[in-house]
Amino acid sequence: MSAEYRDLEKDLDRLLEAYREACEAPEARPDFMPRLWARIESTQGWTERLWKWANGLAVAAAAASVLLVALQLGSRQQADFYTGTYVETLMAQTEAEIAPAELAGLVAEAPAEHPGR
Amino acid sequence: MLVEFDIVERAQAGDAQAFNEIVQAYRRRIFGTVSRLIGRPEDVEDVAQEVFIRLYYSLDQLRSPEVFEPWLYRLTVNAALDYLRKRRKRKLESRVADLSEQQVMMADAAAGSKVQVDEKEKARIRELVDSLLAGVSEEDRLLLTLKEVEGLSLKELEKIYRVNENALKVRLFRARQRVLRAYAARLGGEARKGSDHER
Repeated sequence: MSAEYRDLEKDLDRLLEAYREACEAPEARPDFMPRLWARIESTQGWTERLWKWANGLAVAAAAASVLLVALQLGSRQQADFYTGTYVETLMAQTEAEIAPAELAGLVAEAPAEHPGR
Repeated sequence: MLVEFDIVERAQAGDAQAFNEIVQAYRRRIFGTVSRLIGRPEDVEDVAQEVFIRLYYSLDQLRSPEVFEPWLYRLTVNAALDYLRKRRKRKLESRVADLSEQQVMMADAAAGSKVQVDEKEKARIRELVDSLLAGVSEEDRLLLTLKEVEGLSLKELEKIYRVNENALKVRLFRARQRVLRAYAARLGGEARKGSDHER
């Protein structure tokens, strides 16, 4: 490192020190604190509104979830109805609708098969 | 620390009076730092208010009062950076060319008396350093200002920037080298001008 470079570094350090002194902090206006609190309160009002909206959204989302779960459960119960084959389901329905005695009568009234066939 | 730990704790608990005490204690220091970081006296108060608003809303995130000062510095640096980014977005003229109203007034008023001569000299120093610092990125300028002008130690900077000391040293060294080169060029230019003038 040359002597010239070291001198330059020292010179820069002195300049930066002088800069610190040259940059005096401006004085705050007398209403600094009232304005600060007014800004805090206005931000607070805004965040409170945002908070209310967020809460409302959360409640709506929870309600929608419950509704979706209920719908899902309902559709699953409906699906149980179709677990059998078409013929089985038809049989079960017919048995449920027609009393066993009637069913026996129907069977008896049924025409006999053609002997020629 | 400019305030006792218990005042910070009371402010964290929502005590408005304690918060006021913190603002009163740190106002001058924050004004000085913001002024040096952004270089526009007319906007210092707004940025300082922004710092204190951020402080108010994030006090509950402060883990312990012992780290209050570096933490407040970090809020200050971030607020200054946000301000500078916004200003850049607004495409205002460069910081060097754009002498603040106060600086212009100072320059205009400087004529004659000792005080005015001093003010003129201060304005010249500010302009010179601002032009040198304009040669590095905004982030590096803030880092250099905190280290070289504000006098923060590497340990303090480590806490503010949350990066390790070696990374900071490298960044600072490069930024300082750039400023030194600009300074040498400036001195060379002035020397040339002087010799031309003599001829």
